[in-house]
Order: sequence, then C-alpha cells, then structure tokens
Amino acid sequence: MTPVLELRGLTHAYGSLRAVDGVDLSVLPGERHALIGPNGAGKSTLFATVAGTLPATGGSVLFDGQDITALSESERARRGLLRTYQHSSLFLNCSVLDNVALAVQRVDRVAYRFDRAARRFGRTETRARRHLESVGLIGRAADDAAALSHGERRQLEVAMVLASQPSLVMFDEPTAGMSAAETERFADLVERLPDDLTLLIVEHDLDVVFRLADRVTVLHLGRVLASGAPEQVRADNAVRSAYLGSARTDDLFNGGPR
Amino acid sequence: MNRAAATRRTTLIAVAVITLLVAAPLALGPYAVTTMTRMLAFAVLVLGVDLLTGITGLPTLGQAAYFGAGAYTAVLVGLHITSDAMAQALAGTAVGLIAAAATGWVAVRARGIVFLMLTLAIGESLHQVAATWPAVGASNGLAGMPPITLFGGPPLLPAGFVYWWVLAAAITVFAAVTLITRSPYGRTLRGVRDNESRMRALGYRPALARYSVFCLAGAIAGAGGALWAAQGRFVSPGDLGFEVAALALLSVVIGGAGSLWGPCLGAALVLLVRDNLSASIGGHGPLVLGLVFVAVVFLLPRGVAGIRHRRESRS
Ligand SMILES: Nc1ncnc2c1ncn2[C@@H]1O[C@H](COP(=O)(O)OP(=O)(O)OP(=O)(O)O)[C@@H](O)[C@H]1O
Ligand SMILES: [Mg+2]
Repeated sequence: MTPVLELRGLTHAYGSLRAVDGVDLSVLPGERHALIGPNGAGKSTLFATVAGTLPATGGSVLFDGQDITALSESERARRGLLRTYQHSSLFLNCSVLDNVALAVQRVDRVAYRFDRAARRFGRTETRARRHLESVGLIGRAADDAAALSHGERRQLEVAMVLASQPSLVMFDEPTAGMSAAETERFADLVERLPDDLTLLIVEHDLDVVFRLADRVTVLHLGRVLASGAPEQVRADNAVRSAYLGSARTDDLFNGGPR
Repeated sequence: MNRAAATRRTTLIAVAVITLLVAAPLALGPYAVTTMTRMLAFAVLVLGVDLLTGITGLPTLGQAAYFGAGAYTAVLVGLHITSDAMAQALAGTAVGLIAAAATGWVAVRARGIVFLMLTLAIGESLHQVAATWPAVGASNGLAGMPPITLFGGPPLLPAGFVYWWVLAAAITVFAAVTLITRSPYGRTLRGVRDNESRMRALGYRPALARYSVFCLAGAIAGAGGALWAAQGRFVSPGDLGFEVAALALLSVVIGGAGSLWGPCLGAALVLLVRDNLSASIGGHGPLVLGLVFVAVVFLLPRGVAGIRHRRESRS
C-alpha cells in the first residue's frame, strides 16, 4: 500500500536553527497517527512545511506517491492536504457560516460566482450548515467569528478543514483551549470520520492520543525519536531519556510542562 | 430582530429612498438637479472603490484613472459615434475594465501601502497621458459632446431627464454591487480581506480574487466616468487626477468601508463640500474635508454606516 504521506529527510531551518531536521515518516491511508514531543520539538514547523506554508530547506514531501515539495500551499490544499493551526486562524470579521462556507464553496467550484446570493446556492449552504452542526456551532452560524470563545474557535477550525474535502488532515493541538465537553465532542467527531480519511494529530492530551491514535511518532529537537504502536513508544528508552529530569515516560504522557 | 423583519425594513427604506430620488427633479431647480446628477455618477465610482477597499481590504488611489478612461471614452463615443447614452455607458464600462485589466496585474501583487502607492502611480501615469496626448485634447480635454439620447429618442436636454438616466444607471450598479457582496464571490473577497494566508491554506488563489475584483472595480469606475460625462458633456485631465481618487477614497472612509449606502452618502457629502460649499466658505473646501476626515477617523471608526451599528447594538 502506498503511503498517503511520505516524508524523506524533510528539513526546515529558521536561519541556523534546524527546527525540522531530516524527518523520515510515512503515514498509511486511513491511519490515525499522533505526533508528540516536548515544546519546541518542531511539530508545528513540520506541519507548516508539509502543508507548504513554509518551504522545505531540504528533503521532500510525497503525497499519494507524488512529490509535492515544489507545489504551492493552495495547490496542496486543492489536492486534499489540509491542516488546522495551533493558534486559530479564522476570518474574524466574517460570519461563522461564511468561515465554513468558504471551504465548501471552493470544493463546489462556486467561489467566483456572483449571479445569485450565496444563500441561494442550496447545496453549498446545506453542506456548510451540516459541518457546523457536527461541531456544535450551528446555533452561532450568523454571529461574527470574532464573537466566538476560544474553544468554539477551535471547533470552527475543525469544521473548516473537514469541509474542504480533505484526504489527509493535520490537526495541530486541536483540543488545546477546548473545555472537557468540547474535547469529548471532538474525539467523538474524529472517531466517526470516514475510515479512508487519514489523520495526523499533534496532541498534548494523552488520553486523546491513546483513544484515537493507532500509531505514535515522537519528535525531539526536530528529529524522529521513535515511531510505532502507542504501547511500544511508551516503553521506549530513547523517548524516556529525551525528557530531561523525568525518569519516567509517564511524565511525558501525562502532559509534562506545556 | 429576525431576518424577515430586517429584510422587510431594508426593502421599505430602499423603496422610500428611491421614490424620493426619483421625485427630486419635480421639486428642485435645475442647479440642484445637476448637482445631484454629479453626486450619483461620483457615487458609482465610490462603489467600485468600496468594493476594493471595504470588501476586499485594498485601499486604492488609482480608481480615478479608470473613471477618467470611462469619461473620455463616453465623450469620444458621443463626439464621433453615437449620442446613445446606453452605448456610451457600456463603452465606458468596457474601457474601464480593459484599462484596469491591463494595469492592475502589477498592482495586485502588492498589499497595503505598496498597493496604495502603485495604484497612485497608475493614476498619475494615466493622468499624464491624458494631459499630453493631443488626440484627447491634451490639457484642454474634450468639449462639445452632443446631448445624450435614449432608445433613439430626442436629445435629453432638460437636467431632469439626464438625472433620471444617471439615477437608473446608478441604481443598477448599486444593485449589482449589492448582489456581488452577498454572493459566494463576495464571500471570497471578504475572506481575502480578513485572512489571505488562510485562504491559501483552504486552496484558494488570493491573487486571482484580487485581480478579478480590481478589474471589476475598474469597470464600475468606467461606468461612473461615462455617467459623469453624460451630465457634463465635457472631460478634462482633472477628472482623472489625484484629487478625484483621493476624494473617492475619502468618501468610502467617511461613509464606512464595507457598507454600500454609507459611502454613497459620503460621496454626496464630499462633492457637496468641494463643489457647492467651497465658494461660500472662502475656498476652504479641502480644509473642511480634511477636518471631516480627521473627525470621522477619531469619532466614527466605522464611518456614517457605523452609527446605525452602534445604535442597534445599544438597543
Ligand atoms: N518563526 C520562527 N522563527 C524562528 N524560530 C522559530 C519560529 N517558529 C518556531 N521557531 C523555533 O523552532 C523550534 C520548533 O518550534 P515549533 O513551534 O515547531 O515547535 P512545536 O513542537 O510545535 O512546539 P509547541 O509544542 O510549543 O507547539 C522552536 O525552537 C522554536 O523556538
Ligand atoms: Mg506547536
């Protein structure tokens, strides 16, 4: 089976700091793959480099077996490679519905139409509303995104990405800032996603990681420290020693310092 | 307030405003009617500026160039081809569109202050062309355009008839821009305004949206120019100078960028101060406009249109 995503020696350097340093990784179709590591390990930088927001300074990214290293971020998104942001990135002066509808109308190829009001594009509007429903935001559809709470903004991010018809989604700390109830709703939602959707999740909440992930990769100082089944990674000595001052891997898995 | 009630109220206000505007020539003298005609034509230009500035987040100082292109086209068509107002307006619109398409691709690569400076440069270049090219009368401009006609009828000499034509055209443009802001395309533009990098992450090409709306705004400015010429029957390089561009942007700021009716009111106010009050206040029109601008920026960050918002959120 060809991996959906394959990274070969992927590197991104901020000046002399190699925040992502020769990462090899492959993610199979339908996999729920968790990416963990201490603060500053390079997880967000890795996501940004895979998504094309940041250029790779070395190595390559293969998506569905094709080298996409040279493609623009928007072209990657059109091919189904989407991500959420650690710090929400929304359209704050647009309505909550508009935020999701922007994703849907691009997929529906009506984003440049102005022959009718947007609400008369029934298919697009219905799908946008369904996505809002699935994250529990339908009641806020008409509000400005700026009026949402932090947790609600995280939910909206999730809805926007899922509305973009992705084949691979990278979630960057999706539950950070969500309430317990919102986290539960998010985990439920992810469990109900279609099996052929591939997920890569950066997550500090280890309950969520173990509930959702079937593979875990540990990143440390921009390098892959360990990769494998969750239990295997938990027992890994290298992972253990990477967390200075913590003799027990449990400290890592209990969140550690955020 | 629920949406049905809001829609009904908006419709009611629109009908009332249009009725008043249509009835105006019956009550007002020719001088006032001529003034209002110019305001309407200028408001069309301002709508295009608002589409760029308020909806897409691209403040511009170059729209007078396309306004001028439309005005020159209309006068040339009037002088040499036909006095039909509809044909002149369409020609002005088309030339505004073409001029914007030909020059805009440079500007839309930039954002913010660089974009503003590039549009300014485009405007000044076209102004220079108009002021030096003998074929369009150089610094004298073009005069002697015959009065417009409609549907093959007689020349529209009374000010009221020209006014009605310009009003009809302005309402059409207003309705079209309203439709654009409510359409999926309008949503795309607002997305570009709010968060361009997120648009890219969703698979959009923001440059395409910026370029297309620049062309559209050029077409609208061209229509405004043609309407301006229909009333004045004269065009000179001053009509596409920096002052016109700055006043158009000022109208948007005063009226409230992003609202459509606010900038139209702003357009009326700005022209009133420049053309009608300036003489009676000792030629200090620009000073007054400057003061109005400062006052709006400090007191009404969302322009005249923001007043309604404030009242609504308070009640
Ligand atoms: N824009 C930037 N310029 C320079 N250095 C940066 C920049 N962004 C991140 N870094 C550095 O790159 C390294 C990796 O950062 P990154 O945000 O990718 O880590 P992370 O694993 O996502 O951390 P966290 O868990 O805190 O989100 C850190 O040392 C960070 O200081
Ligand atoms: Mg991070």
